[in-house]
Amino acid sequence: MPKPLSGSQIFLQGLWNDNPVLRQILGICSTLAVTNLVANTLVMNAGLIFTVCLSSLTVSILRNYTPMKIRMMAQTLIIASYVIIVDIAIAAYLPDISEALGPYVGLIITNCIVMGRCEAFAKNNPPWASFLDGLAMSLGYAAVLLIIAVIREPMGFGTLLGHRIMPEGFTPWTIMIMAPGAFFTLGLFVWFLRARFPQTAEEKKKGQ
Amino acid sequence: MKKRLYSIAFMFVLTFFFTAVVSAVKVYNEEKIETNQQVKLQKIILQVLGIPVEQRAPNREVLQVFEKRVKTIEVKQKTLYVGYAEDGKKITGYAFPIGGAGFWGPVYGMVGVDPEASEILGIAFYKHSETPGLGARIAEPWFTKQFKGLPIFTVQGDKKIFYLKPAGPGKRPNELDAVTGATGTSRAVEAFVNRDLDHFLRDTWKSVKKG
Repeated sequence: MPKPLSGSQIFLQGLWNDNPVLRQILGICSTLAVTNLVANTLVMNAGLIFTVCLSSLTVSILRNYTPMKIRMMAQTLIIASYVIIVDIAIAAYLPDISEALGPYVGLIITNCIVMGRCEAFAKNNPPWASFLDGLAMSLGYAAVLLIIAVIREPMGFGTLLGHRIMPEGFTPWTIMIMAPGAFFTLGLFVWFLRARFPQTAEEKKKGQ
Repeated sequence: MKKRLYSIAFMFVLTFFFTAVVSAVKVYNEEKIETNQQVKLQKIILQVLGIPVEQRAPNREVLQVFEKRVKTIEVKQKTLYVGYAEDGKKITGYAFPIGGAGFWGPVYGMVGVDPEASEILGIAFYKHSETPGLGARIAEPWFTKQFKGLPIFTVQGDKKIFYLKPAGPGKRPNELDAVTGATGTSRAVEAFVNRDLDHFLRDTWKSVKKG
C-alpha cells in the first residue's frame, strides 16, 4: 500500500495537480449548467463542498464494515441522503436560488466527483484524510466554477453578482449565458492552463 | 451464507439510519418551505394588484398584508383574488392566473385588472422555462410594465386586445414591444394572454358583475 499522503499534499492534489475539472474533466454537466450567474455558482459550490466532504468522511468511517460487493449501493445511499438535505436546506432558506438552480442540486448525486472521491480515496483511507481530500477536491471544483462564472456573467448579462459592471452601451453576448458559452469558456480555460503549465509527458513534449 | 446475511443487515441498518435523518430534516423544514411557496405567490398577486410590498419583505409581513388586503374567491370553479383598499371595504382590483404554452415549456403568470375590468393594473410571469437572456426577459420589469394601463375589452372577430410588435414606437397604444431575439416566446405570450383576458371578460367577469 502506498504511503499515506500528508494534508498539504492532499490539498495540492485537489486544487491543482489532480483538479477534478481541469485535469480529470469531471463534473462538467453542472459546470455548464450553473455558471451563468455567480450567485448560483456560489450556492452550488457550497452544496457540493458539503456533500463531498461528508460523503467521503462517512464512507471512510464505514470502510472496514462495508462489504465490498455492496459498497456502491451504500455510497449512493450516503451521497443521496446528504444531497437531499442540501436540497431541503436551500428550498427552506434560499427559495429564490432554489428556483434558479432547479434540478441541478438534486443532480449533485450523480456528480462524478462525489462518488469518484469515495471510490478512489475514501474507501481506502482514514476518515480525517478522506475529509481533507473531499474538501480539497471540491474546493478545486469550486474554484474553477467560480472563475468561469466570473467570466460568463459579465459577458452574458453585463453584471457581476447582480451589479451592473459593463458600460451602458454594452450589448450582452447571449451565447455566454447558454451552454455553448460555457463550453467555449471551459475549453479555452483548460487549454490555456495546460499549455502554460504542462503536466503530462505528452503536454510537455508539445510545449517544446 | 453468513456473509450475505451480513450484507443485507448492513444495508438495512444504513438505509434505516439515513432515511430517518433525511425524514427528520424534511419534517423540520416542511412548514417553512410551504410558507415560502405561498408567500412567493402572494407577493405576485399583491404586485399585479398594485398593492405595494417590499420584494425582500419577511414572510410574516407579506402574509399580514395579504390577509388584510386580498380575499380569495371561487367564480365558476376559477380562482379570483379580490384586492381591497387600505380600509378593507373598497375593491381596488381583481387578479387571476393566466398561462399557456411558451416556446420551450409552460408559462405561468398572473394579471390584475381594475374594479371595472376596463384596464390592466399589472402583469407578471413567474414560472417558465424560456431561454435565459432571451425569452426569459418576459419576466423583466421593462416588459411587464408596458401592460400597465392597457385597456381591455371583449374583442370581435380576429382582432386582439394587444399586439406584440418588434421594439420601437408602436403605431397604436395597444402595440407593445416584443422581446428582441425571442419571437417564439413573444408570439406565445401574445396568444395566451389575449386568450385568457378574453375568456375572463366573457365568462368569469359576467358572473362577478351579477354578484
